Amino acid sequence: MATVAELNSGHTPTWCPGCGDFGILAALKGALAKLNVPPEDIVIVSGIGCGSKIPHFIKTYGFESLHGRSLPPATGIHLANDRLRVIAIGGDGDGCGIGMGHLVHTMRRNLNICYIVQDNEIYGLTTGQTSPTTKKGTKTRSTPNGSIEQEINPPLIALAAGATFVARGFAGDVAHLTGLIEQGISHRGVSFIDIFQPCVSWRKDLPYSLYQSKVYKLEEAGHDTTNFDAAIDRARETERWPIGVFYKIDKPIYTDEIPFIKEKPLVSQDISNVDISKFVEEFL
Amino acid sequence: MGMLFAKCMQRAGLNVFGTNDYPSLIKGGHNTYALSASDEQINSLLGKPDMLVALDQPTIKLHLKCLSPGGALIYDSNKVKDDDVAGGRTDIFHVGAPFTEMATKAGGEIMFNTVALGAAVGVLGMDFSIVEGLLRRIWEKKGDAVVQQNIAAAKAGFDYSRSELKTPFKVKIEPVKRDKTMFINGNEAVVVGAVKAGCKFVAEYPMSPSSSILHLMAGHERDYGIIVKQTEDELSAVHMIAGASFAGARSMTATSGGGFSLMTEALGMMGMMELPCVIINSQRCGPSTGLPTYTEQADLLFSLHASQGEFPRVVVAPGDQAECYAETVNAFNIAELVQAPVIILLDKYLSESSKTTEDFRKLPMKVERGRLLSDSDMEKAEGFKRYAFNEDGISPRCLPGQKNGLHVSSSYEHDETGFSSEDPGMRIAMINKRAKKLSAIPEELIAPSFHGAMQSQAEILLVCWGSTKGAAIDSLRFLTKHGIAARVMHLRYAEPFPSKRVLSALTSAKNTLIIEGNSNAQMREHILKKTGYYIEKAYLRYDGRPFIAKEIAEHVKTILKK
Repeated sequence: MATVAELNSGHTPTWCPGCGDFGILAALKGALAKLNVPPEDIVIVSGIGCGSKIPHFIKTYGFESLHGRSLPPATGIHLANDRLRVIAIGGDGDGCGIGMGHLVHTMRRNLNICYIVQDNEIYGLTTGQTSPTTKKGTKTRSTPNGSIEQEINPPLIALAAGATFVARGFAGDVAHLTGLIEQGISHRGVSFIDIFQPCVSWRKDLPYSLYQSKVYKLEEAGHDTTNFDAAIDRARETERWPIGVFYKIDKPIYTDEIPFIKEKPLVSQDISNVDISKFVEEFL
Repeated sequence: MGMLFAKCMQRAGLNVFGTNDYPSLIKGGHNTYALSASDEQINSLLGKPDMLVALDQPTIKLHLKCLSPGGALIYDSNKVKDDDVAGGRTDIFHVGAPFTEMATKAGGEIMFNTVALGAAVGVLGMDFSIVEGLLRRIWEKKGDAVVQQNIAAAKAGFDYSRSELKTPFKVKIEPVKRDKTMFINGNEAVVVGAVKAGCKFVAEYPMSPSSSILHLMAGHERDYGIIVKQTEDELSAVHMIAGASFAGARSMTATSGGGFSLMTEALGMMGMMELPCVIINSQRCGPSTGLPTYTEQADLLFSLHASQGEFPRVVVAPGDQAECYAETVNAFNIAELVQAPVIILLDKYLSESSKTTEDFRKLPMKVERGRLLSDSDMEKAEGFKRYAFNEDGISPRCLPGQKNGLHVSSSYEHDETGFSSEDPGMRIAMINKRAKKLSAIPEELIAPSFHGAMQSQAEILLVCWGSTKGAAIDSLRFLTKHGIAARVMHLRYAEPFPSKRVLSALTSAKNTLIIEGNSNAQMREHILKKTGYYIEKAYLRYDGRPFIAKEIAEHVKTILKK
């Protein structure tokens, strides 16, 4: 219920010119504008990193947490008031490095929140160290002889952990990404969106043109998004890089099994004078 | 069995204090439950036991020597050989009943402890109806057959000890008529307090000795509409409650020192974001895994200083079960009043010791939500600034979902709107703003409590904090017998600290002694920092075991050279 212009916070992003985060910001605002939700009912929760500054540039409620911790506060906000739309967002280091434990557990809970990973395969804000998604062999400031470790594949992790919506987008294709984010937020259950995000400062070897030459759209390739095995196969592809929805199924969500928030979320329940008699009697 | 026996004493109208001791094992090992019961007020274990109930042989070996002369040893003659029993003691009663056999006859071997319960109550000359009533209440959910079997098992033990005792036992329990009390431990009292305070969200990772808070809360999740979430780790638990608090739900987590160590990053974030949260740290012996099921008071300075940078936090250490209840309600109110984290310091001893306590419903506790703005306040709000500067540093707070309040709460330093700022002037202003907030907490609320002799009469002031309160107060009765007039000052709040009152009490005392459960006298150091007064003498315990009133009295006697 807010236009893209109304979602502008008035603060100018401090990202490097050409950063993939600009495309992600545009797509996120575009998706929010398409959804019929007033901005006060939206909370964007981020971690720490270049991309995690994003809540400051969108006029909704925001929570800029600590490095790797976007998902637990997002969970707390959602469970305290499940009428809000909660979007968690952070980088690949944030989500797949320090925050990996939370990623896996948030996916398996099928909470009704959307989690976006700004995946540029590098630590940007700390000036260019290897990240969990940096491909093996890549030279970075912390791996001058080439990274020795096998990289992590975020969509594959999300699928294995039980996410009910898994997608990948590309910051260089804003229109397509906007659609993905809109679908992710609208999905009833947890949604996971990994975004190819060019880092113009620290990954000059991964320019927009390389992504553009490698990516293809799953929806144009006849992919069946309800087929888990097919989703796994697509997520494992390395020659060409699929973008779009890998997997989407409907399953009961976490809050479906909490009867006492059906009528009112926790935050709206009256706590002014709780009767403790039931408890006290156990100890009499 | 110990707990049920304690509840029989409670039902007889006595004051009861009970505590357990067990190793860090799932099953087995040597487990004991010790209790004192009296028609006088008691706050800890007192004196030598008059009765020892042994369900296995090691119990006799370990504890028979403590039994008072004329005391009763009750044991399972199916498990303990006759030659093992006497231990050279001829000054005690022996009630050796075939508990296991009697239990099998009543319906199941598993009830051998119910037989022992009946036998113990029988020795004390109590009416069987007290046991019967209790067993009915405990087992009613399992159906009448289970109730009847348990009653039969208890009755068998009861009748056996009645017939065995040729002369009456030295202790006879006469029921006392009085208002019903609660028999409750520290963790349970905290949970009831949290429920009263309107806590709506609990996230916790299991860790002894805090886990029973998780269990009890989870068991009542649907009764009180509280979401109880077991998380993947303590990081997640503490960050979840930060999120829930930001959204407007009163939120809490509980852990022990190891988990609290993981939570420190979030503590600073709550400080920076000015989020009201309640964190319970039930201390156990550290460092590291330490002695998981034993008690210590060694996380005081850690709690006061945990996390990088400077920000206000509240640290409160309740001294008994009633304070666990009241201070938990206060903690939620204070957290919202000053928009900061509140740490409640318990320890294994307080968490798991039960005491008969006045019905909590008689304590007047209220929910006060501080400067939380309502929907109608926000409807007409203009130019809302979440971190607006004002006189006491506490800015009105709005919640997501409310109109006209859009803002970001950030872990970065920020300006009044919440937008990140590295401006030096703004930095100073924000540090000073946050630092002012604790002054809003009323002085009476954080005041220490005094017990025993008047200030002018006391030869010595015993200074204690947290769970040491009970043993310190109970030491007064032994000191009186030694002709020593003593006064106890019990501190609950470490931050904010009642400096003026503490300094005045210390400077006007003839002698002072600090009593605490750590090796560095951490509260002494804190008092020195806050008041400039150094308490020279310290009585410290750090063997994992709780303070004993009589031992405190002996120590005081020694230092006063009496």
